[in-house]
Amino acid sequence: MDRINFRTQIISGHLQPPPTTTDILHVIPCLSYTPPELTEPESGFNTKSLRKLLDGQSTDIIDYIFNLMIQSPLFSPKNRGGKVFIAPDYNHSMEHQREMTMRRIGYLRDLGLFNGWFEKPGPDGDLWRFAMAETVSVFDHSLGIKLGVHFFLWGGALRFMGTKRHHDKWFNPTETFEVKGCFAMTELGHGSNVRGIETITRYDASTGEFIINTPYESAQKYWIGGAANHATHTIVFSQLEINGVNEGVHAFIAQIRDEKGNVCPNVRIADCGHKIGLNGVDNGRIWFDNLRIPRENLLNSVADVSPDGKYLSAIKDPDQRFAAFLAPLTSGRVTIAASSMNTTKVGLATAIRYALSRRAFSIKPNEPEVLLLDYPSHQRRLLPLLSKTYALSFASNYLKMIYVKRTPESNKTVHVVSSALKAVLTWHCMRTLQECREACGGQGIKTENHVGHLKSEYDVQLTFEGDNNVLMQQISKALLAEFLAAKKRNKPIKGLGLEHLNKPAPVIPTLLTSSALRTAQFQTDIFCLRERDLLQRFVTEVAQHQALGESKEHIFTVTYQIAEDLGRAFADRLVLQTYLDVEATVPEGSLKNVLGLMRSMYTTIVLEEDASFLRYGYLSTDNAAVVRKEVLKLCSELRPHALSLVGSFGIPDAFLGPIAFNWVDANKWSEV
Amino acid sequence: MAPTNQVLITESSNVRIIILNRPKQLNALSSEMVYRLLEVFHAYEEDPNVKLIIMKGEGRAFCAGGDVAGVVNDIKKGSWKVGADFFSKEFTLNYLLATYSKPQVSLLRGIVMGGGAGVSIHGRFRVATDNTVFAMPETALGLFPDVGASCYLSRLPGFFGEYVGLTGARLDGAEMLACGLASHFVPLEKLSLLEDALCEANTDDTNIINNIIDKFSNNNPKLKENSQYFRLKTIDRCFSRRTVEDIISALEKEADKNMDDWISWTIKSLKTASPTSLKISLRSIREGRLEGVGQCLIHEYRLVCTVMQGKYSRDFFEGCRALLIDKDKNPKWNPSKLEFVSKDMVDHYFEPLDDKDWQDLKLPARSKSNLPSYAISKL
Repeated sequence: MDRINFRTQIISGHLQPPPTTTDILHVIPCLSYTPPELTEPESGFNTKSLRKLLDGQSTDIIDYIFNLMIQSPLFSPKNRGGKVFIAPDYNHSMEHQREMTMRRIGYLRDLGLFNGWFEKPGPDGDLWRFAMAETVSVFDHSLGIKLGVHFFLWGGALRFMGTKRHHDKWFNPTETFEVKGCFAMTELGHGSNVRGIETITRYDASTGEFIINTPYESAQKYWIGGAANHATHTIVFSQLEINGVNEGVHAFIAQIRDEKGNVCPNVRIADCGHKIGLNGVDNGRIWFDNLRIPRENLLNSVADVSPDGKYLSAIKDPDQRFAAFLAPLTSGRVTIAASSMNTTKVGLATAIRYALSRRAFSIKPNEPEVLLLDYPSHQRRLLPLLSKTYALSFASNYLKMIYVKRTPESNKTVHVVSSALKAVLTWHCMRTLQECREACGGQGIKTENHVGHLKSEYDVQLTFEGDNNVLMQQISKALLAEFLAAKKRNKPIKGLGLEHLNKPAPVIPTLLTSSALRTAQFQTDIFCLRERDLLQRFVTEVAQHQALGESKEHIFTVTYQIAEDLGRAFADRLVLQTYLDVEATVPEGSLKNVLGLMRSMYTTIVLEEDASFLRYGYLSTDNAAVVRKEVLKLCSELRPHALSLVGSFGIPDAFLGPIAFNWVDANKWSEV
Repeated sequence: MAPTNQVLITESSNVRIIILNRPKQLNALSSEMVYRLLEVFHAYEEDPNVKLIIMKGEGRAFCAGGDVAGVVNDIKKGSWKVGADFFSKEFTLNYLLATYSKPQVSLLRGIVMGGGAGVSIHGRFRVATDNTVFAMPETALGLFPDVGASCYLSRLPGFFGEYVGLTGARLDGAEMLACGLASHFVPLEKLSLLEDALCEANTDDTNIINNIIDKFSNNNPKLKENSQYFRLKTIDRCFSRRTVEDIISALEKEADKNMDDWISWTIKSLKTASPTSLKISLRSIREGRLEGVGQCLIHEYRLVCTVMQGKYSRDFFEGCRALLIDKDKNPKWNPSKLEFVSKDMVDHYFEPLDDKDWQDLKLPARSKSNLPSYAISKL
């Protein structure tokens, strides 16, 4: 049909009154939705195998939980354009959202989903617990956090900081939610600096009780998830003062509500109020006014107080004691990192599916408009983020594996890797959501389409369980310490993937080519070169300041620029290494090819985007130009795989928004 | 292929009435019929003179299923690949119907089981009536609910699909309408009037067709007093469990609290079905819930080929022997108990077959431009 005619018909169609159901005798031509499943080329690789690389042995339990959520009316199913979508009702009041979160947890509990939470042993048990928390978060971050606070923070503190007497008493009622736990660490005046908290606990030997106090307003517990409405018990982090000596931060169990939900005497609780997201979690503030708790409520895995009031600990150094105490809580960062990848997948699957069905502008008159993802600029916006998401997801799996197989010796590695990846992955998540939101245009603004709304739901992940910037600074400090320790021992450096420092510095070709850019060798070389050079520069800079007699603390506050660059370099190199390890497990064939393509995209985009390569001269300006061209080429080569790659994420349709599917029907008059 | 009289077609201007015509076998789908239906549906999609397709059965059944006895016979004579060929054609037909560009109205008189459901439930309009009996009875036969059942059963309310698929429970017309397997319920005496009215309307407009069927419909047929649909809460509580073992023990707990005929029948049907079938069926429905109809059929094709290959269990042949051939109704399942069917074994059924001549089901290309919404939503 001639184009002008066609448009005229459409416009006149819009001007006519809407047809009633009894009177449709002619079809009104309109832009129609063409499902990408029918127009996109076949994947060529096995999407289920790729999914397996992402979800591994947890695939079954993940899919089971998806099934449970999709089939329950508690998860607010809505039919849009002939498909069922589930999503929380964010338009409801904060109180309603909180109530729904609890009801959804009750539903999953009644089905026995949490049975054996504390018993499942070993790495398999850990992976099972992680899968649980991450999967419910795909539906709603609040649900994941509410569950995470109860099981990983409250339950994790009992498990790791407590001893048998705590396990015997608290595990069962925790599993059944008879006891609802929360975790009171952060205070109004202190967050990342846990050792600076001001809550104070003293021991009364005459009654065998601890007495907890909030001495100043800045010592009120703040942001305590679960405290505002539901929690009956909390872990309280507090300074412990014995005989006038401050023994440092310790953790105690305190009851804050009775079984009827009334706040206990000597406890005051207030709501943190409405938030930019996560309103399904009841964050609260707590004050303690001489609250007395039994001596046994001290979580005594590393230190105890005897009935007559003596402080006992096997670890004399308070620094080490504190580190040993907090080490197991790394699990929080592991789930945050993994959940952030799921959220990123939701954003990308939505934006890319939309870009494969939405058209804008014709290039030539009378031709159909062009599919968004056929614009090179649109590819450049989304496909690098897609490749990066695969790379970071593999890294997240690596983090999970080193966590579940942790030993006392590997604690440091777990700490450094979890700090780096928690920061890098959550930043990537927010950046991707923003890009996806914009890539969906106005549709990205609608809450039902998720991508825009998820930004406010997930923004908090950059802050909780360690502010990202603070975490990144810790990496450089840890790398410096490793380097200096090895030098002092006069031995090769080992661990954290730093072994490459023992070899001669790699040499980068003066003139890069497209094929050189795609070799694992070159990619590894340039990432290693950047890491070793930045570490060297950091060592030198710190030494210069030391020579001037400045304190360690001061030095780290002034060397932050290079420290930041180094933190990034460490993370990028680690991600590349884990990617290559995954790739090595895949047999030759189409899947390996597409993985190779995404790896090249990942490294090339890092080369293009991170200023440090030019700043410190790892890339010449000529080579940087070659890199930039390569990004374009990689985009066009990945383009045919886009649909299969987001399909392999394994996020069920019901968890995406209507614009990911038949957005024309989802918005038609009869659905109003 | 020479025209077969097992499928009859009558034409009324732009309406085509397809009649499954093998009444002695309750219209069970032979390969001849499957080939013919494929041919006809492909042709009608291209034919601008065809606007509406009505499907019904000759005699007292709509269609009692795929002709598995015939398939088993063929396999015995030749190789399991003869069976694979039958199922690949049947599933291709199921996919074609699920994504068909023209409306299909199925008039479900009498029995609608297995393959019979596969040629009707995927279509836009499914008209149940007073004597409709629906079931997916495959687990009792050593098979699993196929023909795309992992798609349509998994989309029923709550965990009713798991219940229907695992137990082989029979649903009447009212229950089919209640759970959504049927789109309409038209009293038996009005079915031919409906057929006439549809022919007279001679349209492909689904709104008009819908309105016509509505006119003859009883929108609220009474569920019988002891209908299993009233047990939806119990079904959800039990059939949402992760494993077949957990489902059975949840049912037994319910039975401890409140034993009645329905619970004891449900438990018994699970205990007499093939353990292997139960496990692959449950997983098939759960996977199907997260897949589109095409992916569902692809995974079901892997399952059915593995079943016929008989490498991990030969329950299908044993089930056909006991129920269809010797009719002693006493199949000896092997593995004989749920606990002997390991996760690894189940995993094998969902993987591509280890056979160089075998390949995954190839779905036919579908029209890119004129698929109706209800078909698009199934992709």
